[in-house]
Amino acid sequence: MEKKNRNRAEKSGFQRARETRRNPPSSSNSWKPRPPYRKEAPAAVEESSNPSSSIRERSHNDDDLCSPDPPALVGTCSDMCPEKERAQRERLRDLAVFERLHGNPARTSPSLAVKKFCRTISTTHMQASDIRALPVLQNTLKYLLDLMDSPEHPFEVVHDFIFDRTRSIRQDLSMQNIINDQAICMYEDMVKFHIISHKKLGRCCGKSDVSSLSYLNMEQLMKCLLSLFDMYDINQRSKSIGKKAEFYSFYVLLHLGYKIPKMGDSLSFWYTQLALPVLQSKEMCFARSLLRYSQVGNYKRFFSTIAAEASDLQLCLLEPFLNEVRGQALCYISFGSYKLQPYPLRHLSKILMIKEAELESLCYECGLETSTDEAGSKFLPAKQTSFRLPKAGFQSYSLFNSENNYG
Amino acid sequence: MALHLSMGEAHRRIIEYLARFSDAVSSQDGSALKPLLAVSSNSPYLLSLADALNVFQDSSRLVNQTDKYSLLGEILIPHFRCLQSFRIGRFVDAYVAFEKAANAFLLEFRNWETGWAMEAMHTVALEIRVLAEKADRELALSGKNPEKLQGAGSFLMRVFGALAGKGPKRVGALYVTCQLFKIYFKLGTVHLCRSVIRSIETARIFDFEEFPARDKVTYMYYTGRLEVFNENFLAADQKLMYALMHCDPRSEANIRMILKYLVPVKLSIGILPKMGLLEKYNLLEYKDVINALKRGDLRLLRRALREHEDQFLKSGVYLVLEKLELQVYQRLVKKIYIIQKQKDPSRAHQMKLEVIAKALKWLEMDMDVDEVECIMAILIYKNLIKGYFAHKSKVVVLSKQDPFPRLNGKPVNS
Repeated sequence: MEKKNRNRAEKSGFQRARETRRNPPSSSNSWKPRPPYRKEAPAAVEESSNPSSSIRERSHNDDDLCSPDPPALVGTCSDMCPEKERAQRERLRDLAVFERLHGNPARTSPSLAVKKFCRTISTTHMQASDIRALPVLQNTLKYLLDLMDSPEHPFEVVHDFIFDRTRSIRQDLSMQNIINDQAICMYEDMVKFHIISHKKLGRCCGKSDVSSLSYLNMEQLMKCLLSLFDMYDINQRSKSIGKKAEFYSFYVLLHLGYKIPKMGDSLSFWYTQLALPVLQSKEMCFARSLLRYSQVGNYKRFFSTIAAEASDLQLCLLEPFLNEVRGQALCYISFGSYKLQPYPLRHLSKILMIKEAELESLCYECGLETSTDEAGSKFLPAKQTSFRLPKAGFQSYSLFNSENNYG
Repeated sequence: MALHLSMGEAHRRIIEYLARFSDAVSSQDGSALKPLLAVSSNSPYLLSLADALNVFQDSSRLVNQTDKYSLLGEILIPHFRCLQSFRIGRFVDAYVAFEKAANAFLLEFRNWETGWAMEAMHTVALEIRVLAEKADRELALSGKNPEKLQGAGSFLMRVFGALAGKGPKRVGALYVTCQLFKIYFKLGTVHLCRSVIRSIETARIFDFEEFPARDKVTYMYYTGRLEVFNENFLAADQKLMYALMHCDPRSEANIRMILKYLVPVKLSIGILPKMGLLEKYNLLEYKDVINALKRGDLRLLRRALREHEDQFLKSGVYLVLEKLELQVYQRLVKKIYIIQKQKDPSRAHQMKLEVIAKALKWLEMDMDVDEVECIMAILIYKNLIKGYFAHKSKVVVLSKQDPFPRLNGKPVNS
């Protein structure tokens, strides 16, 4: 029920924000001037993409970076949650488990309550005391991310709380039009949260509500990434690509999923807007290659490349997509193999970097049967026509490299 | 030059322009009005007028002192400011003034019942885009936010709205659409094209065939390019072919632009253009790609993609060309088959995976037998090869009939 409301509200929030969007005044502290057009730049390659594709234009930026009509507010709230909201939510008993003082659903404290994401926001009625100052936002984010490993609660509950509260942090940042280095750092941390969530949600049993949580998480991950890239564009100071390349690569890797949110323009178009050094960075080449292997269907290189080159975060992001590629591999093999020579699962499990028992489960998830020979070895019979991708998505299995024992 | 202009001469020029303008309006002569608005054309006439305005300095008084001119004052006064600013290279000021004039012109245009002023309206549409581009360049160079082109886009949406009605003005809508496309492509906001496309293609007031041929070509070019971005190859082929077939054959630059996107699309559906075509229109970046497809040489394809990476990425065709890999593999396997057939026709349809791996190694592509098997499985699944593979025997067995089906104008199925 809650999720349905969220979806509907997101849509209206989207519309409203688009209408109030205006250019920030150039005198504002946090606004940095746009660099010249890429083609006007001298031969030395610049990192900037087309400067005219401003933050305001992109359709993904509904709640993240809307600029208010009057000059940006400067928040003065020094608590993680403004007092007014704390009192109101105590009265309404609207406190998350993490916010309850001694488990009391009607009592909270300044060190537990965190400001909620507000969908129906109107910047003209906002008071500075309701918006948290930058240092407070930084501390709030740190507090939230430390909750990630809470063992007492199921991960979906932890995720849901951090998801909402970090969204509120982004909202406060955007109302103050803060797009400096600290904001970039915070966005990068929030991206990491969504990536780790992506992996953990993928490992939860394939329940249908987890799959919609996962979808919403991917959507938010995409939005964060696109806002982050806009901030990279604006904050042109360092010419080096550094760790930005990895964040760009996350956006490419997201396109591996067969059921991802439709956001922004096609990948081909997105590439036209990126600078060549970014596109040719190690991390981006890795991501682009993986995408090619996946689309061509080269499952062998897909897995061997991941094992050889993926960073930890890239692997987190990739994990829920691995079974989609494995499923496709099963489909190709069953289709094209000789019926008198069924494919041995042990050999296939090495190529697909999965434990043999998990590969067997995967076959069943895809509607495929297995056969066994006299020695007890398992095989994939040929020419099965019952292959289908599971509707609720796959449960993740890790990357199992029998040589290195990952995962 | 302007310094040698006397006040008297300046006055004369301005009055003459005003007379021309108001006569064009009162006699509903669109082709006479059009050149009076073409600021960026730098016509000698407008240049001399701009000089006159800069000397005279008080042109608004001249406009307001005569009734028939003052009625058009909301257009004329800012338009004069625009001409003056443009003449001295102040493009932001020129744009801001032109936008005012354009808005006033649109108001009048709405009231004129017939489409007599359509050419002039189109000139205004073109000019606002060109001036906005110049203004944005000026803003960017001085470290400010370039937002004029965006504003021009908003204005054009309003023009579109004025044309999207049942009357005779509607045939002018496609021209405005194309100006909008140019703006959105330039700004990198191509997703905004969707709503105009929907209006053109689904609104009942528009009949695509009624639009002028030149506008239809431009429209199909841009919508074709959008289909390329989204890898809808059949739709892209249809649209870009339309643009090519109806394009002015003398306009080599335009044909080249269309071919730049059409060639990768054709390659994706298995149609190879002749080398002569590439040479004629200077599209040699595709030469090695085509040779790779002809020879089954994957190394050549990779090399071509590396060499022209920047160009292909910028035009948005890189991912399209990358996917030609499967067709290159198909060609290679076919060549091996042909060689085997010459040696021993009765056994040619059986191919050891080892042999394929060796051929690839000879092309400096390092692939183990597992990967070769993987590629064969894909080629079979995607119907680029008819047959099956036997894992234990490590062979591919090809169908005796038509083992390498052609694409026949359809993309490789995914």
